Amino acid sequence: MSLTATQENIRPPKPRPSLVVPIGLVAFLAISWVATSEQFGIGLDPGKILEDIANGVGILGDLLRPNWAFLPKTVEPMLETFRMAVLASAIGCSIALPVAFLASRVTAPNLLTYVADRSVLSVVRAIPDFLYALIFVSAVGIGPLPGIAALILFNIGVVAKLQSETVDGIDVGPIEASRAAGGNRLQTVRWAVLPQVLPNYVAYSLYTFELNIRASTVLGIVGAGGIGRILLREYKFFNFSNVSVIVVELFVFVFVIELISITLRRRLV
Amino acid sequence: MTAAAATARPTRPSRAKRNASLLALGVLLVWALVTLQFDPAKIVELPGGMGHVFYLMYLQSGPDWSYLPNALRAMLESLEMAWIGTVIGAVISLPLGFFGAKNVSSGLVSNAMRQVLNGIRAFPELVLAVVIFIPIAGLGPVAGALALGLHSVGTLGKLTAEVVEGIDGGPVEAARATGARALQVQRWGVLPQVMPEIVAFWLYRFEINIRASAVLGVVGAGGIGFLVQQTIVFNRFRLTGTALIVVIGITILVDTVSGWLRRRIIQGSGARVQGEFIEQPELVEAV
Repeated sequence: MSLTATQENIRPPKPRPSLVVPIGLVAFLAISWVATSEQFGIGLDPGKILEDIANGVGILGDLLRPNWAFLPKTVEPMLETFRMAVLASAIGCSIALPVAFLASRVTAPNLLTYVADRSVLSVVRAIPDFLYALIFVSAVGIGPLPGIAALILFNIGVVAKLQSETVDGIDVGPIEASRAAGGNRLQTVRWAVLPQVLPNYVAYSLYTFELNIRASTVLGIVGAGGIGRILLREYKFFNFSNVSVIVVELFVFVFVIELISITLRRRLV
Repeated sequence: MTAAAATARPTRPSRAKRNASLLALGVLLVWALVTLQFDPAKIVELPGGMGHVFYLMYLQSGPDWSYLPNALRAMLESLEMAWIGTVIGAVISLPLGFFGAKNVSSGLVSNAMRQVLNGIRAFPELVLAVVIFIPIAGLGPVAGALALGLHSVGTLGKLTAEVVEGIDGGPVEAARATGARALQVQRWGVLPQVMPEIVAFWLYRFEINIRASAVLGVVGAGGIGFLVQQTIVFNRFRLTGTALIVVIGITILVDTVSGWLRRRIIQGSGARVQGEFIEQPELVEAV
């Protein structure tokens, strides 16, 4: 075996240029062009936006001067948001647990339940929270109740999806052991599956609680109770100094809840 | 050892902590329920009310298919809003994410950048639209797209920084060893490693922005949200029914296509797959 010098230094053949990246780029540019165009899209003109920035300056000035005297009036709506989030998370996450077990290949009793549950879940998840709120408000009138109902559905969608995927990925050893010991389906889920997925479940529940607080602005705006209600009111009356108070308050509130929730989740998982 | 001692059960681990947390949770729940001011009678009304709304939407005379073109056009506007918001977020967040990564920029710069990104992220799109972009750009989808864009900068920037921090140092060293300048190191040592995951995050953000863009319609940023709200305000529930079908159908369609693309991108890249992200991007985003 004698390789010549040229053969030793020969480069490996270049891989054939892939068409995926250029096709992706062209598609990306085409969609972006259509979406920004005046005729087919929303008509985004960067030049005009730069000109219009001046319109916002007065309001931004008000925003930077929060009217702290307004703060006491925001406490009660903020508490309402908190209560709604607590109740909706508790109810939604409780319902989501059995729903998740029925939506996992590992624990679903039969294919039909599995497919049906999955399809219902994807429909539930496709409707944004505020659309639920709008519909519930039109069904029973304004107040916190339609807001809670909307959040419950939203929570079921999120937790059941995440949880069912966690159940899909568990260690099947304990399940076999439980079956071998004569456990029925419910006992298997209780003693072989649940202990494995419980920490994740609590983490998901805390996560949805955070989402619920964030969603409160939206809910209030469609009449489903909470801090969003007064946010919209102050905005409509152009009281931007008051709006600023609510925004800052919400910012701090979400930040604190997130901090607590992250700490708890780290300790659990 | 006697037989009795050998078969004795181990002592049960303490449950004090668990019981205390459950108790605290119970107290919180009762407090929320008792202090929440609402009319209990409405709970009973809720199922009936929903049934009635459903009846008006679909059963009384079926959804109004002649409204389909209008609903589709509004949904297209929402999709475009979401797309532009995502593009703005992606383009701006990519360099910011590199500055936010400890291993690429210095400790001080990355910390400062992370704080900026967290600050942006904390404001919901809706608040951004109402207090900043509607005053600037006026009512309409442009304000919505800009609000989505700014919020996306926060979330995508944070994710980009995290992905960049998780890279393999080998290619970076190799690029340096061949005499590459700082920018070249990023281009050839870092970017190829992180791009698949970042593009997947962009797609996922697009899915989220579609949902968010519907919300923005309620405050006057156009799209399907505005349409649905109008039909409800004017008691045209048949039209609401049609619009809902469009929302559900298009959302599931886009989610399916985008999810498939994300999986292809991550798996096809052959990179170290961060398995959790593929199935549960929500959590990666949350933590």
